[in-house]
Amino acid sequence: MSDSKTITLELFRYHPETDSEPRFQSYEVPYDEDWVVLDAINWIKDYVDGSVTHRWSCRMGVCGSCGMMVNGEPKLTCAAFLKSYYPFPVRVEPLVNFPVERDLVVDMDGFMEKLRDVKPYIIRDDVNDTSQGEYRQSPAELAQYKQYSMCINCMLCYSACPVVGHEEEFLGPAALALGHRYNKDSRDRGKSERMEVMLSNEAMWGCTFVGECSVVCPKHVDPAGAIQQAKAMGAQEYFKRFVMPRGAGTKGAGASRGAGA
Amino acid sequence: MTTHQHDVIIIGGGGAGLRAAIAIAEENPSFSVACVSKVFPMRSHTVTAEGGAAAVIKPHDSLEDHIYDTISGADWLADQDAVERFVNRAPDEMIRLEHWGCPWSRMADGSVAVRPFGGMKIERTWFAADKTGFHMLHSLFQTTLKYGAIARYDEHFATRLLIDDEGRCRGCAAIELRTGTVRAILGKAVIICTGGAGKAFPFTTNGAIKTGDGMAMAYRAGVPLKDMEFIQYHPTGLPGTGILITEASRGEGGILVNKDGYRYLQDYDLGTALDVSDPRHPQKRSMELGPRDRLSQCFVKEMWAGRTISTKDGDAVHLDLRHLGEARIDKRIPFVRELARSYAGIDPVHEPIPVRPVVHYVMGGIDTDANAATNIPGLYAAGECACVSINGANRLGSNSLTELLVFGAEAGAGAARFAMENAEYNLSGLEAQTADERERIRRTYFSSPAKSGGERIAVLRGELHEAMESGAGIYRDADSLNATCTKIAELRERYARVALDDRTNSFNTELTAALELSSLLDVAQTMAHSARERTESRGSHQRLDFPERDDDHFLTHSLACHREGAEAPGIEYRPVTITKWPPGARTYGADSGLKRKPAGT
Amino acid sequence: MSGQYHRSHSRAWFLERPGYIRFMIRELTSFFVAAYLVVLILTLGRAAAGEAALAEWLQALSGTGWMVAHGVALVMAVWHAVTWFKAVPQAMPIFIGEKKLDAPVAAVLMGYGPWLTVTAGVVWWAVR
Repeated sequence: MSDSKTITLELFRYHPETDSEPRFQSYEVPYDEDWVVLDAINWIKDYVDGSVTHRWSCRMGVCGSCGMMVNGEPKLTCAAFLKSYYPFPVRVEPLVNFPVERDLVVDMDGFMEKLRDVKPYIIRDDVNDTSQGEYRQSPAELAQYKQYSMCINCMLCYSACPVVGHEEEFLGPAALALGHRYNKDSRDRGKSERMEVMLSNEAMWGCTFVGECSVVCPKHVDPAGAIQQAKAMGAQEYFKRFVMPRGAGTKGAGASRGAGA
Repeated sequence: MTTHQHDVIIIGGGGAGLRAAIAIAEENPSFSVACVSKVFPMRSHTVTAEGGAAAVIKPHDSLEDHIYDTISGADWLADQDAVERFVNRAPDEMIRLEHWGCPWSRMADGSVAVRPFGGMKIERTWFAADKTGFHMLHSLFQTTLKYGAIARYDEHFATRLLIDDEGRCRGCAAIELRTGTVRAILGKAVIICTGGAGKAFPFTTNGAIKTGDGMAMAYRAGVPLKDMEFIQYHPTGLPGTGILITEASRGEGGILVNKDGYRYLQDYDLGTALDVSDPRHPQKRSMELGPRDRLSQCFVKEMWAGRTISTKDGDAVHLDLRHLGEARIDKRIPFVRELARSYAGIDPVHEPIPVRPVVHYVMGGIDTDANAATNIPGLYAAGECACVSINGANRLGSNSLTELLVFGAEAGAGAARFAMENAEYNLSGLEAQTADERERIRRTYFSSPAKSGGERIAVLRGELHEAMESGAGIYRDADSLNATCTKIAELRERYARVALDDRTNSFNTELTAALELSSLLDVAQTMAHSARERTESRGSHQRLDFPERDDDHFLTHSLACHREGAEAPGIEYRPVTITKWPPGARTYGADSGLKRKPAGT
Repeated sequence: MSGQYHRSHSRAWFLERPGYIRFMIRELTSFFVAAYLVVLILTLGRAAAGEAALAEWLQALSGTGWMVAHGVALVMAVWHAVTWFKAVPQAMPIFIGEKKLDAPVAAVLMGYGPWLTVTAGVVWWAVR
């Protein structure tokens, strides 16, 4: 640790039992160029103020717990190094577009419901017995959806999306990308069923392709791209229903082998 | 108002817990299943597993080879009936997960791809690039969303098991983090799937949540903790942060070299160093693909010999991947590159990665049989928190992810059966226990005297870390373990005076940190005491004062038992189940792992 | 629980991030593209009305004001096209086997390439 250098953290504080408005509280933290913002918050909680409240676990950018606004940018605090901000103060707030539970902790319930809404699982009636071995899926078929399966549910994209902030019904980038991931999986036969949800009102069409979700995504999932593809897929699905009102809704329609380019 | 009733209660929402939940929902659609977790399921530590999951699938592989690799890897401390069941069920479970959408890496013909892993004679590790745990956890979690019968209690911190008048486990008391309410979550059977306890050590790959809460809860309720002296050090963690660099990097052909650029493993009975351009490299069960315990021990010996590299975060050796080339690294182990770049400032395409052994996995855990059942009727356990035991004195890499599935499903089936056969229970007794627990938490944490003079959580935790690392690390002896046991006793005494800054109800993570520390103190104590009593060296438990394996006295599982009113656990022993594979010399190197005929077949 | 704190966006939410501003500028360029289309449709209408009408209309369009307006519309249309081509590879990825085509290559293939080809064709037709 470099001798006596320090850095200032300004933490958003809000306690639901006592506060009606949030405030910022400043803490002087020892500066270590290997530290990430999360290390600094943990140091505060451990040695200065045990009441500071935040979520974290893996500290290696894969559990998705520690997303916060760092100087106004949605970031995984385990991947935001103090050296990128030093010597200036770092202001940490809970992710925007979510209600604040306490301090840096937001309410995820709405997000969890949206994940469930897109039916993020393989849907098919003819499930093979395991004795028949694995479903075959070529590397090319895998590549069709792999990128969209990398989402860690950190919710940074929800904080970067202006539509999420204004439109309650909008399913949001992560959930839509996940729905698209299953639609593109060659093992799935549930596209029509899933599209039922994604096509309704603002669920997907709310997206105006601002594209900031893909900019802030720490795992390069590109939800913006996924949603535009889903819209194209949805338009086809919509048209199919229009011309074949009875036949198009059946499972498996058009989902035979890795629908792709 | 604060009591909730279901059929089966699962504590823990990681791989094992979710697999158990699906098993119950599929087989017993009318059952209501509660999944109680202190975090949202996708935050569970299964998410960080990288390299892969082992199961026999390829024609040139055999179940018997997987069994033999596992038993010899365990230094013959695994129960062989359990290992057989594990290996036999593994392929089925893995295929099931494939059917649920796990994005396994594939061969050109569309079949799943496998890679070699340490201590395995044949390549049998399924993988999803190098984020296997992440993909498995998310596939399982997303699949649970299909079932309306699975009720989730996210961010509920279970603190105590509830036992009915007839000694059957019927649920848990849990703190709802959002409100601080202590609830009774009741069911007819309970499964603990709360993961390991790596956070008893300072330098670990484990996330913040791995604090042994389920182990401690079961232990306090009267289930022994089995084989707790066996702690796995993974040979390749990043110095400083302890971030895991997967064994898959060696499975793909990465090599370990000391400060002279020399592949030092060849000096430690692990085989000969083939050139990296040799088509036989990497050789299975040899050199860099030796088992984790051996590789970590070799590191320490190199360090003692002064041949490691000193870094600002302590001694290290180099993991060299450069010969793999950028394309292979990006395709097979992209996360390794991402992690090394972000957290070590090193691009493995151009530079070797400094690595050192880091606490990774607890082989021991809640004592269960091969049905995942404990000695308390109605209580089951699966995953890292449990000790079945298939991992014995050293777990082979890529067996733990498979273990989650096999014994998660097993526990689900067992618990569902138990719930069906033992449906009736007395509600009021369980609610009374919950009220007691509510009162205990209030008294212990909210009514202690002023902060001044109280003990600070982080200070106690820091001293525990220091005691575990210095006394119960890769090499131990009687003196070091005595010192650790004494220190833990002192910390437990001081813990009674722990003082919180935060005395409020809503989302009190200082309270949960205090509860986690109390779990760690119990679990660490069983580790240190079990290690002190085992006066032999086996697998990951290496005693400098007893350097040899002693099958005459210690072909046994240690059982650390909680004794009401006593300061320390009592240590008992139970023989290992040996069926067809009598203990033999544990050899690695070119000619190791040759087919050994099982006895009596 | 009633104790949650809800933050709201300002009416000028589009100033909150540079990406939002870029988005709004792009949305704004659509207006100019639409306006130019109106002019084009009017031109076609005049052309249908006969050679004299067209000549008169073109004469009117050659005034300074119109020229400036055309210049502005051209800049806006180019900006709109460039941002569109940037977005196309995201919305329509091209796979060759398991490899996704790099975005710049896809942009040339699906955007700039056809655009320049058609433009060249039109220019050739006009000057031939």
